[in-house]
Amino acid sequence: MFSEVIAAYNEAVFDTDRGRALQVVQDALAQGVAPEDVLFKVVAPALELMIQTVSGEAEFNLAQHFMASQIAAEVTEAMLSRMAAPPQAIGRVVIGTAPGDFHSLGKRIVVGCLKARMVDAIDLGLDVTAERFVDAAVERGAAVIGISSMMMHTATGPGGCLKVRQLLRERGLEDKIKVAVGGAPYRFDPELYHAVQADAWASDGVMAGRVIADLIKEA
Amino acid sequence: MMTGMERLAAAANGEQADRIPVFCNLFDQGAKLLGMSTERYYSSGEFVAKAQLLLREQYGYDNLWSLFYVGREAELLGCRRIIFAADGPPNVGEMVIKKLEDIDKLQVPDDLAAHPAFREVARCLAILRDKAGGRYPICAYLTASMALPAILMGMEGWLRLLLLGPAEARDALLEKCSAFFRKELDAYRAAGADVIIYSNPFGSTDLVTMRLFRELSLPWMRKDLDGIDTAGLVYYCGSARFNQVIGQVIDQLGLSCFYLSPLDDVAEGKAAIAGRGLACGVINDIQLVGWSEARVEAEVERIIAAGKPGGKFLFGTLLMPCGIPERNIVAMLRAAYKFGSQP
Repeated sequence: MFSEVIAAYNEAVFDTDRGRALQVVQDALAQGVAPEDVLFKVVAPALELMIQTVSGEAEFNLAQHFMASQIAAEVTEAMLSRMAAPPQAIGRVVIGTAPGDFHSLGKRIVVGCLKARMVDAIDLGLDVTAERFVDAAVERGAAVIGISSMMMHTATGPGGCLKVRQLLRERGLEDKIKVAVGGAPYRFDPELYHAVQADAWASDGVMAGRVIADLIKEA
Repeated sequence: MMTGMERLAAAANGEQADRIPVFCNLFDQGAKLLGMSTERYYSSGEFVAKAQLLLREQYGYDNLWSLFYVGREAELLGCRRIIFAADGPPNVGEMVIKKLEDIDKLQVPDDLAAHPAFREVARCLAILRDKAGGRYPICAYLTASMALPAILMGMEGWLRLLLLGPAEARDALLEKCSAFFRKELDAYRAAGADVIIYSNPFGSTDLVTMRLFRELSLPWMRKDLDGIDTAGLVYYCGSARFNQVIGQVIDQLGLSCFYLSPLDDVAEGKAAIAGRGLACGVINDIQLVGWSEARVEAEVERIIAAGKPGGKFLFGTLLMPCGIPERNIVAMLRAAYKFGSQP
């Protein structure tokens, strides 16, 4: 049964049809599927399936990633509110755009996907300084700092990821806090994350959800 | 020695020139060349024109640019804050549309040419036309109606409105953006632009599904271009791929020049065009920051080998980040001239 629900949900998401996706969830609940199962056996596997398909023959576009993330976040919130004992978050990440970068979309997609993976994502907003990234990670007990950059100079600039790495090193935090990066420049140069001294990178927002969740599990 | 315009005309007509045309897009490098901040550089059409002429002369490529920065279009529509960076392109610092009600207030200027934000662009174009008009194609960058809202309300806000509605607000905004595009096209052409880069990332299935491309992107592009002379218009989707839609664009929009994505397969793109237009093979210039000169040369050779057979081909760059070392700009252009030469 779950495979049918996942297929119907994914078909709606891939068609960027929010109404139909939410209806699939409503129908599943009406048929007696528990909110926990909607969350862990439909929404989360649907995101995984998207990643697996992206890695294979078919490819998905930005609109589909955006809708997948927004619907997943919306359904997650709704299901958590129905649970008597909502599950604990698996960990926490602070996320924002690099200094000088005002492009919010990628970050928004990642935050939605993280929510569906039960990761507590603290959104620091746009144009975030390295100091603020590190201070916020320490204050909020985050295991990962996520830095989004849409432009080459904001990805590689000395005040961005490179500075975050320097601060983590100076404060002896490198073992406790990992750094993940993403955005257009990284897609065009998959080795760029080494140059900016990040621990990991993701090619798109949906994949970023998995990469960050994996970093948290490793911490 | 042929001029860039002669090379471009030859390529467009399927004739052989001394080499294929080479388009190199150097923007913020102009400020560095003139030894000034980007903010000062982009304050004057004279500075931009001077740097564009000097850069073209120094490197020998075939095009000239009148583009200041993409946010200039937002300024023409009311944006009052641009954020300048020392090492990269300027950014829109204030969204013109912050809430849906702002769409009603959005005003397309009656006389774009008289707008203060266009004055320096016109000045730049006048100088380029005076110094190099007819010899080197003068390029302008215009954003399609489907993509312009991203500059006015942010990509996130626009994608939300596009996908989730309300459709009335979406269409009202697109209507204004299309009207703006048509006025802008007239203004740029009147001021001397020869080649118009018609930029629409939403014309790519990397951004939207094929269904949305057919239901929204294509009809709004048709509206943008309805009744206008499409000569000199170049289909461009930013860095997004569009080989899959080339056939529809030719059939339904009548465009015949395609500035491919660095991620597009060049041979596949040419096959889709099937001799009905010009293809530009574009290098992934983000990687020019870190590549060796030998790697740069090999990549240029690969692109040109895929696109040159059969003619109607040019070589180009994307946005050329400031971090690209001088030696790699030289290596790329040297290789383009070498492998693009025609006996």
